[in-house]
Amino acid sequence: MSTETAKKEIDHEDFDPKGTLALILLYFVILAILWIFMYFIEFLGNDLTVIG
Amino acid sequence: MSDALESGAPSFLDQFPDEAKLVRATLWSAFIALILGGLFGIIQTLHRTDILRVMDSSYYYTVLTAHGVLMVVSFTIFFLVGVFTWAVVRSLDRPLVDIRYSWTWYGLMVVGTLMAVVAVLGGFVDSTEMSADVLFTFYAPLQAHPLFYGGLAIFLIGSWLAGVDWFRAWYAWKREHPDERIPLQTFMALTTMLMWYIASIGIAIAVVVFLLPWSLGLFDEVNALLTRTLFWFWGHPVVYFWLMPAYMLWYTVLPKLAGGRLFSDPLARVVFVLFLLLSTPVGIHHQYVDPGIAEGFKFIAMTNTMFLLLPSLLTAFTVVASMEYGARRRGGTGLFGWLRALPWARPAFTGMALAGLMFAAGGFSGMINAGMNINYLVHNTLWVPGHFHLTVGTAVALTFMAATYWLWPQLTNKPLFSRPIGLLQVVMWFVGMALMSNAMHVSGLFGVPRRTAEPEYQGFDFTPAFGTMNEFDMQIAIGGTLLFISLGLFIGNVVLTSFGTKQSSLGEDLPPALSGPSDSPVVLDNLKLWVGIALVLVVLAYSLPLASIISRGGLFGPGVGTYPMIVDTFSALIESVAHAGITETLAQFEVGVIVQ
Amino acid sequence: MHIHNYEKIWLVLAMLLIVAFISTVAYGATAMGVDMISDDEETINPDALDEDQRFAEPRVEQVGENEYEAYVVALQFAFQPDPIEVPAGSTVTFYVTSRDVIHGFEVVGTNANVMVVPGEVSTFTVEFNEAGEYGVLCNEYCGDGHHVMEGSVVVVPEEEYDGGDQ
Ligand code: HEM
Ligand SMILES: [Cu+2]
Ligand SMILES: [Cu+2]
Repeated sequence: MSTETAKKEIDHEDFDPKGTLALILLYFVILAILWIFMYFIEFLGNDLTVIG
Repeated sequence: MSDALESGAPSFLDQFPDEAKLVRATLWSAFIALILGGLFGIIQTLHRTDILRVMDSSYYYTVLTAHGVLMVVSFTIFFLVGVFTWAVVRSLDRPLVDIRYSWTWYGLMVVGTLMAVVAVLGGFVDSTEMSADVLFTFYAPLQAHPLFYGGLAIFLIGSWLAGVDWFRAWYAWKREHPDERIPLQTFMALTTMLMWYIASIGIAIAVVVFLLPWSLGLFDEVNALLTRTLFWFWGHPVVYFWLMPAYMLWYTVLPKLAGGRLFSDPLARVVFVLFLLLSTPVGIHHQYVDPGIAEGFKFIAMTNTMFLLLPSLLTAFTVVASMEYGARRRGGTGLFGWLRALPWARPAFTGMALAGLMFAAGGFSGMINAGMNINYLVHNTLWVPGHFHLTVGTAVALTFMAATYWLWPQLTNKPLFSRPIGLLQVVMWFVGMALMSNAMHVSGLFGVPRRTAEPEYQGFDFTPAFGTMNEFDMQIAIGGTLLFISLGLFIGNVVLTSFGTKQSSLGEDLPPALSGPSDSPVVLDNLKLWVGIALVLVVLAYSLPLASIISRGGLFGPGVGTYPMIVDTFSALIESVAHAGITETLAQFEVGVIVQ
Repeated sequence: MHIHNYEKIWLVLAMLLIVAFISTVAYGATAMGVDMISDDEETINPDALDEDQRFAEPRVEQVGENEYEAYVVALQFAFQPDPIEVPAGSTVTFYVTSRDVIHGFEVVGTNANVMVVPGEVSTFTVEFNEAGEYGVLCNEYCGDGHHVMEGSVVVVPEEEYDGGDQ
């Protein structure tokens, strides 16, 4: 492709994937909230606990 | 034609015609399994949701066995051997050592599949004694026809020999390139195969030592807990066996599709090494609520499982960063605005990206499955198929379909029949799966079991916290229907592509990583070292539980009988009554028959 | 080996998540006392349940004040006894085993959900506080009548309890 050269070249050190960091932090928050919901509300809040 | 050749790269078919032919054959086998599996998938979806019942419920389990085996044994593994063959040959830039050898392993895999599938489909034919309604987990003492176990064994051997083929190609390459790093795609294929060899120990022992001779009548008892544990010794790493080719495509092809390059080659190697180390010593997480296994072993399996999240979480970062890099090169800006600069019109890109997104969701339900005591909540409910239709059923299957749109032209020299249909297909899969899987997860939480022809009971109703059972069944049925249509579009597109006319220069290069292999320590390429550590971890995780199971129940079990899965209900009942030797329970059995 | 700073951040967070998950489960196991099915019971010959004093006659037995034991047999395609009758306000230990193949024992809509493997006895203890009725289903494929395999747990008011014999 001839357009290739017109594209910006960025190398590993210069490139800060800010968008990726933001997305992955969002994912982290979702995971944490869902885990708490599933463990403490859905599971521990459910009927009958196996205690022995 | 010569004109076109100058403007583009030669394709894989131009460079390696013999290997291209082999890869095409493996992919066709995969697609045939996929479409048949999909047919069974839609039948069982409509059956269990009571939308359309075309057969007696006793056949449901024949259908379900066929769906499971065709999808997660045939489809995934045929695709894997094809795409790894492509990747090894492409990245070493040399042909396989002996193509006749390669056709041999392919032939074995085909024969093995046919044997197993014939045994399963025998379940539909009342006049044969042959059947294998044991589901893809074939838990003893349910017993399949020997053809089923024999087929599985031959299929497995074929897959092992395929791995040997890639190792041979690599040794040959090493002689020609003594001091070079293993090319990334080859590295991925080889580490995956090493994991596969270790994992196979479990299933090989289960099938060859116990189940096959037992089905042939050489002995008449097996230890149900032992064969089940050996199954899961293999059963969890096989999950990563399905996933690794998809990861390889995300690491090496997806960045290119996004217009960028892989962010970090060293990290990709670290991730594959972690999978080799950690995939196997975790299988007991499938047995959290099994009797006969101490809680301590379960806790150890959980800890290993949780650390196995790490390579997947790292992958999420590297792959998204590679896409962002591509988007920014294409002129994307802003914290999230770059997402718009991605090539969403390309089905290969969109399919893989949506597959990755679904994997993020499936990752979450997988984290729940990994938790030890929370397993009481979800074990064997519809939540579980909800989970793995996101992982193997979408992250893997949709990635494979999307990759086909990119790879198939390079294997055939024929451009894709239709990109818009391809785009519609991948989006439809995403929507269908979102519906089906979501409803399955929720149904599981209020107790609806998996693997059940008619989840409708005499004595009680399911009580969802919101909505009704009917609404969730509708969602499952609509989602399943969309999936099936999507599958039809996919196969149609591939078939019509094959009828197209040949063109030249359809080849595509893969760009090197931003941070290349020279940035990573050489020890990463020391495969012997990693195999050694992986084996030690397996021994640590499994020797005590297995020793305990055997010392408690004996190698052949504490008097567990034999239950051939013959479809004719009555003869099955007679069999089991005869074995159990208890006439008093006959009344109970009869209840079962009448209600059916 | 270069690792980008953002990747290092994510690596730390990912490890944190993993440790947090393990800790939550450990918290459930210790502070909340959620116990796992384990290997406390001896193996048993599924062909000889008739000679076993617990399982020859599947039943509920009182073993202490408000303490009961339920001996349950799963078989193609039923549970015995059915219903399993216990009084409200009791602590019940279940002993579940199989006469033939692998089954599941799921008290529908609850956390009582275990595998039943021939040759092994699954034991677990739960408390039934209020009177009511629970469905029980088999959630492991066990043959072509699997979908009809169901049972029930009936929790009767304490004063009406007659020992669980039907
Ligand atoms: C047309 C698309 C599909 C539909 C409609 C579909 C539907 C279903 C349904 C409803 C079940 C649950 C049945 C039950 O537990 O009673 C199921 C099970 C399963 N599906 Fe699919 N599925 C599809 C595609 C796939 C794909 C692509 C894969 C994997 C590559 C897959 C792998 C499995 C497996 C392994 C099971 C479990 C079988 C068992 O429990 O033994 N499915 N499928
Ligand atoms: Cu697993
Ligand atoms: Cu069952």
